[in-house]
Amino acid sequence: MKNRKILIAVAIIILVSACLSVLILRRSDKQKVEIVQDGTVLYSFDLKSTEDRDIRISAPDGGYNLVQIHNGTICISEADCPDQTCVNMGVLKSDYLPIVCLPHKLIVRFAEDES
Amino acid sequence: MNIRRMTELALLSSVALIIFVIELRIPNPFPIPGVKLGLANIVTVYAVFRYRPSETAMIMTVRLLLGAMFSGNPSALLYSAAGAIACLCGMLLLRRILPEKQIWLCSVIGAMLHNIGQITAAIIIMRSFRVIAYLPILLVTGSLAGAFTGLCTQLLLNRIKR
Repeated sequence: MKNRKILIAVAIIILVSACLSVLILRRSDKQKVEIVQDGTVLYSFDLKSTEDRDIRISAPDGGYNLVQIHNGTICISEADCPDQTCVNMGVLKSDYLPIVCLPHKLIVRFAEDES
Repeated sequence: MNIRRMTELALLSSVALIIFVIELRIPNPFPIPGVKLGLANIVTVYAVFRYRPSETAMIMTVRLLLGAMFSGNPSALLYSAAGAIACLCGMLLLRRILPEKQIWLCSVIGAMLHNIGQITAAIIIMRSFRVIAYLPILLVTGSLAGAFTGLCTQLLLNRIKR
């Protein structure tokens, strides 16, 4: 009986997270983007009005990330970390799911509306 | 601890490490930080059911430290260690409740605890609470991976008699 309860609890958690995942992965319509490193906001700008450019961000440990803004989208195009997950994540799409580079403590995300 | 026991533990640790290193070479179809199949955890789950808690912890520690070294990604150690500790504590408790037939369930819950530990570490290290948005996705993929490693362990335990 105890096992069945555990099983049901696990099933509920998985179902709820699956629903939340769908919500989280929805595309964002926000325009304001910020680049955060180690809890401090380094850059913050409007994607629509910013022209294409690359921003190089150095990490405290000597590594770097290259953040690319292109046609109103933002992505990390290059990094010298071993796992390259931030590069593989591609363009920033979702409101809730930021691009993160765990080794360099870097986050690229949509900013909250201030209004 | 006698020599036989020690050799077994060393052997298991190296098997886990080899699986870990080979898995690094497999390209990840889900480019989301923290999503991984975690095949090396087959050894962990096996050890949870066949060895003493302290011995399992030893295998885990060796794998974590050497794994971080071999992958050339020592900064990932904090995240994986936080996950591993949460996962290990949970599974060692579950082992008392669950029979050997339900290893897959134990492994699924272990994987989920691993993800929760990882995200907690990420929130603390990155100083951003919004990283928690990854948790639901990690829980879904983690439970699938956990079920797979759990079933593998089940097969393994059936074949290797005590």
